[in-house]
Amino acid sequence: MIQLFHVYKTYARDVEALVDINLHIQKGEFVFIAGPSGAGKTTLLRLIFRDELPTSGQILVNGRNVVKLPDRAIPHLRRSIGVIFQDFKLLRDRTIFDNLALVYRVLGIPSATGKRKVANLLKLVGLSHKVQMTPYRLSGGEQQRVAIARALMNDPLLLLADEPTGDLDADLSMDVMRLLGDINARGTTVVVATHDLDVVRELGRRTIVLKAGRLVEEHP
Amino acid sequence: MERLRYILQDALVNIRRSGWGGLASIGTIAVSFVIVGIFLIITRNLGAVVAEWKEQFQVTVFLEDGITAEQLALVKKRIQSERAVRAMTYTSKEEALQSFKRELKGKESLLEGLGENPIPASLQLRIHEAYQTPEALRQFAAFLTRLEGVEDVLYGQEWVDRVASAVRVLRLLGLSVGLALGMASLLIVSNTIRLAVYARAEEIEIMRLVGATKTHIRAPFLLEGMIQGGLGAGLALLLLFGAYRATLWQLQLTPGQIFGVGVGSFLDPRWATAMLLAGASVGAFGSLISVGRFLRA
Ligand SMILES: Nc1ncnc2c1ncn2[C@@H]1O[C@H](COP(=O)(O)OP(=O)(O)OP(=O)(O)O)[C@@H](O)[C@H]1O
Ligand SMILES: [Mg+2]
Repeated sequence: MIQLFHVYKTYARDVEALVDINLHIQKGEFVFIAGPSGAGKTTLLRLIFRDELPTSGQILVNGRNVVKLPDRAIPHLRRSIGVIFQDFKLLRDRTIFDNLALVYRVLGIPSATGKRKVANLLKLVGLSHKVQMTPYRLSGGEQQRVAIARALMNDPLLLLADEPTGDLDADLSMDVMRLLGDINARGTTVVVATHDLDVVRELGRRTIVLKAGRLVEEHP
Repeated sequence: MERLRYILQDALVNIRRSGWGGLASIGTIAVSFVIVGIFLIITRNLGAVVAEWKEQFQVTVFLEDGITAEQLALVKKRIQSERAVRAMTYTSKEEALQSFKRELKGKESLLEGLGENPIPASLQLRIHEAYQTPEALRQFAAFLTRLEGVEDVLYGQEWVDRVASAVRVLRLLGLSVGLALGMASLLIVSNTIRLAVYARAEEIEIMRLVGATKTHIRAPFLLEGMIQGGLGAGLALLLLFGAYRATLWQLQLTPGQIFGVGVGSFLDPRWATAMLLAGASVGAFGSLISVGRFLRA
């Protein structure tokens, strides 16, 4: 599903965010990208959905070389990927419904189908009763779940989750991880970036550890 | 297509949110187009007057009383072979007197003391428009005067020419004023759209990240600009038409009476459509200026 070959990413002013990353993630896998703050986790995810280009190296996603992708093919790539952003990226002045509807509008899905999808996903994340609220009035955990629901709006083959348990307490964190596990069980490849080593240890999934942009550990 | 409906909805939401900025856009375009429209109406009507005059324009060649039949035939032949001449009619002394009497209707007594018919026979010449320049006419008149049997040549062209050049100047002025106002409208629209883009920056970013195409992101703004431009031009047409009717009413005129020729008309549908399209184009272009700079893949 995802292959990285000698990937380097240097931001301006010689910030080496990623150094010589080689990585192979199979279709249907559940993988953690772990590491302390500033290790390069978000950067790695952004390279995968072509929000950034690597300074050098090649990246294959679903058999396609993302680095050589022409601009006009980028939307198509992104439509096959669901992303849960570290900062959620929810529109604060819109209702939960509108936030999710944005995706089906972009995809050009008829509104009847789209509305059904929104309802199903809000049920999945347990927020059906808050559909007309704005994110502003939701707790952090609820916003997190809205972000998850939105990432699933396009039935992604690949789900990238950036710190999906960010500020949540241990119980809520395990809830979110269970949800991601369920999604993975249905066939979606899931990549989770996190600095929460407790969660990682508890789940015992494949883990890739980054430190200062380098891949330092991989287990099991 | 579902996506088209979403794009249209987004454009309408943008317009609703644009508030005063949107109204300022529409207003600026309307004012600009009113001014341009006034120029258009005036120059088109004056242009029609000039065309009518040129169409009616004729040169009168008065013939000597003693002209013989052979001389007359020769003069006619010489004149008809001139390229400047579009048509020629002959008026005999008798016909000229009759028509003069008709014009004097009731005051024929004025003619009584004259005895012999004082009015000369004449030829009326219609001139091709291309030869209606002062220089060409002067040369042509000189040629006519030299012909055997010609008494005098009469034409009055200079003031027609002056009106024609005034129309040209007006047209040029209108064009430059129009261009300047068009630029101003462009800037105002592009500024309004820029604010709309900023207001939706977050949303655009999210759309981009979930796989919206550039076209999909730009289209609502393009549409917004076009609608603003079209509304502005439409408003201008309404204002112009109202002012036009009010002016006619004030002057107690009906269309077509001014100058007694078929003018004094409003912009015809082709020009009205052109103005609407121009408004929409200004809007679209203004929008493109702002949106083009903002988006990355
Ligand atoms: N757009 C950018 N421009 C310049 N430097 C950047 C940019 N994005 C990230 N960096 C730098 O690259 C390094 C890796 O950042 P990244 O966001 O990938 O880390 P992270 O592992 O996601 O950290 P965190 O756990 O805090 O989210 C950091 O030093 C960061 O300052
Ligand atoms: Mg990060």
